[in-house]
Amino acid sequence: MSSRQLYGLISLVFFTSFTINICAQEITGLAIMKLVDDTRRQTNNSSFNKMQLSSCKFGVAGGRITCAEKPRVKSLESIAKNYGANLKDTKSVTITIEPPSERGIGMLSFTYDEIGRDNETWLYLSAIGRVKRIASGDSDEETEPASLFGSEFTTEDTETGKLEEYSFKILDETKIASREVWKIEMIPNEERSKKTRYSRQIHYIDKERHVALRSEMYDRYDKEVKRLMASRVELINKVWMARSLTMMNLVTNRLSNMAFVEIYTDVTIDDEFLTQRTLTDVAFRETELEKLRLTLD
Amino acid sequence: MGRRVRRARIKRTSLYSFLFFFGLIHAQENLEKSLDSILLDDNIDFAFDDTIFSSPFETEKKSATSHWLDNFTIKISQQLYSQINHHQIPITPTLSIDRKKDLEINRLGTNVRYQNVFAPGWLLQASAQLRLHWAGDYQSEVENKNLEWEFRGNELFLQRSFENQTIKFGRQTVVWGETLGNSVLDVININEFRDFSIIDIEDARLNQWLLVWDFFGDTSNFSSFVNFFPEFNPNPVRGSPFFFEMPFDLTEYDREGDLLFEAGTKWNRSFRGSDVSLMAAYLYENQLSFDTPTEVFQNPKPKVNDFILLGFSFNRALGKLLLNLDIAYSHDVLLGSFNFLSNTSMNSDFSSRTDRLGTSFGFEYAVNNNQSVSIGIQAQKLINIESTPFDNFAGNERKVFGSWLARYSNALSNGNLTLSSTLQGDLKGESLLALLDVTYNLNDKWAISTQIISVSAADISPLFLFAEDVRLGATLSFTF
Repeated sequence: MSSRQLYGLISLVFFTSFTINICAQEITGLAIMKLVDDTRRQTNNSSFNKMQLSSCKFGVAGGRITCAEKPRVKSLESIAKNYGANLKDTKSVTITIEPPSERGIGMLSFTYDEIGRDNETWLYLSAIGRVKRIASGDSDEETEPASLFGSEFTTEDTETGKLEEYSFKILDETKIASREVWKIEMIPNEERSKKTRYSRQIHYIDKERHVALRSEMYDRYDKEVKRLMASRVELINKVWMARSLTMMNLVTNRLSNMAFVEIYTDVTIDDEFLTQRTLTDVAFRETELEKLRLTLD
Repeated sequence: MGRRVRRARIKRTSLYSFLFFFGLIHAQENLEKSLDSILLDDNIDFAFDDTIFSSPFETEKKSATSHWLDNFTIKISQQLYSQINHHQIPITPTLSIDRKKDLEINRLGTNVRYQNVFAPGWLLQASAQLRLHWAGDYQSEVENKNLEWEFRGNELFLQRSFENQTIKFGRQTVVWGETLGNSVLDVININEFRDFSIIDIEDARLNQWLLVWDFFGDTSNFSSFVNFFPEFNPNPVRGSPFFFEMPFDLTEYDREGDLLFEAGTKWNRSFRGSDVSLMAAYLYENQLSFDTPTEVFQNPKPKVNDFILLGFSFNRALGKLLLNLDIAYSHDVLLGSFNFLSNTSMNSDFSSRTDRLGTSFGFEYAVNNNQSVSIGIQAQKLINIESTPFDNFAGNERKVFGSWLARYSNALSNGNLTLSSTLQGDLKGESLLALLDVTYNLNDKWAISTQIISVSAADISPLFLFAEDVRLGATLSFTF
């Protein structure tokens, strides 16, 4: 799991929360997704996030879906900043806070927009005792969808780009949880079909707040295999966001919840922080993070 | 009568089994029906009760006052290891050693780690372990007790970070080299392979008293260290698998007021897809050498040997493949200082000095998101050997010698289940150590793992006393 994937996940939050100040008639799937792509880069730019990822097997109790076991919980902190032409490259650091057995594991990732340029990742494991470069493949096309931190979210669930490889259709205008929504179908073209596990996806977009309240993912046999649900929709930095996302795997009956405990964008991050020093130098890292927290407070 | 009772019991068992499995199937169908009825009912939009995940948002409010206990990570583990293959090891045509099935390790370990950034730029880090050796463990058996305990401090250092520099003083490790597991450059810290529960060098490194200064430049970094109190690989613990009874004891090195120190520096820089390092150090060989006792009841005297190390390391990422290369040139090492770790490493007869050129190279390959393979080969050659009366030995060691290491790991079930295996051997093909490990994380705190370790060795291998040994181990751990 790389920081790039993590930031894909953060983008997913914003994918569920983009603001579109155009009227309903003008909205097309492609227009929506272009806005999402732009928003994705905005969210990565100089951002600081605290997340909690909880996973469990689910069951039914009292007519509602709930965890059938005590959830497994991971807490993460991540910092990212965009670089390069049009700010399309990203440097990011992700540190595991919990569980205790994984505390201090850090990952530094440089992701490049340039086609053919390998992304670079370094990992610090106290057991190894040094920073280690990780061979992680160069592009999404070469990488099968990976589980994010052992959760039900995968890299494919977090992708927002490559819009030309999909067609979009507004299927319906309906209601979900008393909210007016657009029901949008997203179908991959032939080229994209070879790379994706989903034959189609359906998103329910809140008309007023422009948040995807629910997403359904279908396999090649048109069976719904996963469902994403959003809650705790809040206005953060003038963008509506779902701070709690739950991905249900309907095949394995497992679910994962991503809670965005703290989200800050447009924060001041020194270039020096996004280097290997941050992985090994705990005093430096914590001191810089503390400075960052003070500015946020 | 008995047959009728047995038949009735079989019928009853069959009926219970049928009812049990019918019940299971029925319950599963009901669960699926109720799940489907909720999931497919468009009128129930938010059937999922996400209030069970509200704790992170509550934690946010609480986190304003962090608890002092947050600085501690504690791991408690119970470990059992047994040699399970009863076999004979032939020593001579008429003499052989009987290797019986035997419990070797039965211990409860507590590892405590403390990490506290107590002021801006200041870090205090410490770790220690307390081991309780229960009945059957080799360390309690050798003391003839049912319970023996041992405490050992590991890390203890104070760190000051400012601007683009960091200074650390205290017990810590310094790791050089890129190749995983068997780098020729990973010689700064001493090691203790006390028993077969420790196979990986990462688990065997011991901390030393070091002053480390790191400088972080815009394009490259320097890291330098001084060791004011060089230590040496500990002698095998009496009773451990690597201990062999001899008519004398191996003693610790007596410094007798000698001022020993080690120092080294490393420069490293990252390029596109590569990391490059150059290093130089003045070191003492980690393995002590011993004079053969000249009188009965006299213990051999340990000797130390200093040498110069020059090193180069490099890696290159090519998609999912990472290539590693380490090169080490050691000047003035002792001729016989490469023996197997045990108190059989008596090498006083080979005290001539020589130079050594070593390399370790290999690759790591990410098969997919869950599986990875790494292979490393370490090869060394002695050069500029002084003439010695032990030319047979020197002649033999003029050839390339070394070892190889292969590791594979596969994370299954969302990372809850990890299968890993390690194969280690020497380049001459005289020994092979195979380890298979299965680790299952029961939850965020509890984990259970089992290992099976098999050793094959030729008669001339240093591992020949462990040939055909098969060890089975299990560890239950709790981390909080």
